[in-house]
Amino acid sequence: MRYIIREIEVTEPLPDLRDSGNMADVAGYALLVRRRGRAVGYVLEPLSRNGMPGPEDLRSLIAREVGGKLLTESIADELGLNRAPAVMPRVTVAVCTRDRPQLLQRCLASLLPQLGRAREKGQAVDVLVIDNAPSDQRTRDVVRTLHGVRYEKEPRPGLDFARNRALRAAEGEFVAFLDDDVVVDRNWFAGLVEAWGENPDAGGFTGLVLAFELETRSQIIFERRGGFRRGFNKIRYGASYPANMLYPCAAGIFGSGCNMVFRRSLMLALGGFDEALDTGPPLPGGGDLDAFYRVVRAGHVIAYEPQLLAFHQHRREMAALRRQYWSWGMGHMAFTAKSYRADPVMRPIIHHLLLWWWTKHQLKEALLCLKPGGPPLGLVMAEVWGGLDGLAGGYGRSVRRVQRIREAFAS
Amino acid sequence: MILAPCRIRHVEMEQGFADVAAEADAASVLLVFWWRGIPLGSHLLSAGELPMPRSAVANIAAGAVATAVGAQVLDHGFSAPWPVRRRRVRHEPPPDLDALKALAVPLERLATADAGRPRDPEAQRASLIICTRGRPETLLRCLGSLLACPSGLDEVIVVDNDPGTGDLQRRLEPFPGVRYVRERRPGLSHARNAGIRVATGDIILFTDDDVVVHPEWPLRMIGGFDDPAVMAVTGLVLPAELESDAQIAFEWDLGGFGQGFRPIRYDAAFFAAGRDRGVPVWRIGCGASMAFRRSAFAKVGLFDTRLGAGASGCSEDSEVWYRLLVAGHVCQYEPSAVVYHYHRADWPSLRRQAHDYMRGHVVALFVQFWRYRHWGNLWRVFIALPCHYANLVYLGVRYRRDARQRLLLAHIGGVLAGLAASFRLWRKGAAETPDGESREIGARHIRAAQ
Repeated sequence: MRYIIREIEVTEPLPDLRDSGNMADVAGYALLVRRRGRAVGYVLEPLSRNGMPGPEDLRSLIAREVGGKLLTESIADELGLNRAPAVMPRVTVAVCTRDRPQLLQRCLASLLPQLGRAREKGQAVDVLVIDNAPSDQRTRDVVRTLHGVRYEKEPRPGLDFARNRALRAAEGEFVAFLDDDVVVDRNWFAGLVEAWGENPDAGGFTGLVLAFELETRSQIIFERRGGFRRGFNKIRYGASYPANMLYPCAAGIFGSGCNMVFRRSLMLALGGFDEALDTGPPLPGGGDLDAFYRVVRAGHVIAYEPQLLAFHQHRREMAALRRQYWSWGMGHMAFTAKSYRADPVMRPIIHHLLLWWWTKHQLKEALLCLKPGGPPLGLVMAEVWGGLDGLAGGYGRSVRRVQRIREAFAS
Repeated sequence: MILAPCRIRHVEMEQGFADVAAEADAASVLLVFWWRGIPLGSHLLSAGELPMPRSAVANIAAGAVATAVGAQVLDHGFSAPWPVRRRRVRHEPPPDLDALKALAVPLERLATADAGRPRDPEAQRASLIICTRGRPETLLRCLGSLLACPSGLDEVIVVDNDPGTGDLQRRLEPFPGVRYVRERRPGLSHARNAGIRVATGDIILFTDDDVVVHPEWPLRMIGGFDDPAVMAVTGLVLPAELESDAQIAFEWDLGGFGQGFRPIRYDAAFFAAGRDRGVPVWRIGCGASMAFRRSAFAKVGLFDTRLGAGASGCSEDSEVWYRLLVAGHVCQYEPSAVVYHYHRADWPSLRRQAHDYMRGHVVALFVQFWRYRHWGNLWRVFIALPCHYANLVYLGVRYRRDARQRLLLAHIGGVLAGLAASFRLWRKGAAETPDGESREIGARHIRAAQ
């Protein structure tokens, strides 16, 4: 079971998707629609009885799904928008990795050429690889072969230990955090410069994340449930956001930790990432949510920029996907429990959030699973189970555990 | 969510964008986006989103105006839907991708198409009728805004519905060309009919005394009659100020007077789609910004004096549209014609207004039923409205309470008062004998229907 992923440039003649080669076990297709190179829309459809859409079907499909956005883009062109400045303040791109040298290599391969082009325009940018508690030398060897990539080792295991190491070691005014399992789009860095040009006051930026591949059932299920997608419209998240009643406590709205940028001085002033979140097995999530939340609560803006586009390799096995949902439930609830204690002003909203998350949200997800062709119920159960774990003192246990790690490595 | 007071900022996009600064005494800012005098969209910012740099404002603008631009420069794909149930209307096909791609400068194209519209204000004489009752200050403010209108109006008629008191006639002397007409019988329909009787124009525009008009309003309203099939035109009503809770509640929770930034053509197909559940003629527009061909009144009769402020409460305007639609004519909503309305500023008057509106609405539904035996009107009274209020109670309990719940008793009281008023009309026999011109016309229509 797999989906074909194709990119479609609307300003060029549309391709005929019916000759997409080997159609064995193809169950659907995902189309990334671009207009003059800019990502403007995404179509994710299961295969209909007639197979892949012909050019005529494709035309009306794109017009239906992306028409409004195409019009918005041409209005923006006419108004002279979408014109990024040449350069922005120095950026450090930090890739945190742990024993996955092939993925790291792939990520850097997508990143380095566009950074080279940006440097030619006078942009100050550098790359930092944080090797988190490595079990061998392979990551160091990968970095050694690449020119202009700095290597830092963080012996204490935990993603947020690595991110904080990156914050301290970085030289740029902005630090862009990428996970090693993403590949960035060719316009990724241009998207960051554009977002900065439009929101020079922002404390952070998040970007669109799409599926890198849709080769297995678990990847398709994940992307069809919404994945990391946050749409193709720019959003500026300030102190309030009237469209969402749970704002800013439902911190998943901001974006995803695999593709995010922060102002370094701001993050350092806020005390960096919370090392008790994102620690790996006992509490493997929530650090990004917590960072977004604290930046916004400190009165700064987070700008969501769809051109800051990255492709994430989703979990290939169902067991790994279940585990990811479990970790999200846990990370989300641990983060909620933490903000409940740390930010009493927001408690009324957190009450609403808990009520929504534990009743309507999970019920809706469960009902979706019961529909024919829906995702397995185990995913929802995993998230609920993780949530219970996160609420039942998960955060406190993690704080103590992280403290032990700190002490162990301090001595 | 605290939104009051809300500041309204009009942004002419051609002149570029400015940063929106936070204001100490404002809880929100409403941005209204214009392109060369045509309103195209709006966006509400809460104080927490401010200050906002101009680049972010520009991005919001591009998204906010897209559907209105698409509706006006493309054949299909962006038209505003009729306010009737979806499955009763033919599904609109998506926009044509090639047409979309070819659209390099949509705003320029919009302005060119707008400038190219046949506009010949000399061809048709236009009269403006303003009915007023005991509010000289707001009336003079309205007339003052009319002085800025470049042309288009051949006469302005002020109908004084309360001529016994005050010295309105004397206070109108500074305004050249304003005719003063007295109508002693109280009621907005009487006043409007009195204005129509003395008006000499081929096109008769109406506005209320509590608005301020945009300089291009008369021309744009008259422009709506380009199509000879169009018998009535309505315009966009934007809020003039949103300073108090009550004004905010009226504009957003109760829907306000505006019907969006896309033109809508209401024709026989719209009527057919809504007929079995009560045609939502009240969504066509409002009396503060409407116009008719003079011949329309000859065809379907004048305003029904059982309806309107001073009688049932309101809906004298929508009931004429109902008659026009029954007779197969077209009503056009023209959002480029803008007036700014001062909503009721305090809760007691808003509550009174809500009560009156619902009473007028129910009486109008009965009047429409009596006239044509269209059972959809009764469906609306006895099925749709109770369901609507039950749903409001549910929404209020389940989610957030807003002004609709706060005014629920006023609304329900208005409905009951409307039922009582309709019952009295029916017992008096007034149900079957519409007065004056509309009786003749009504009789003719019933004969035609038979």
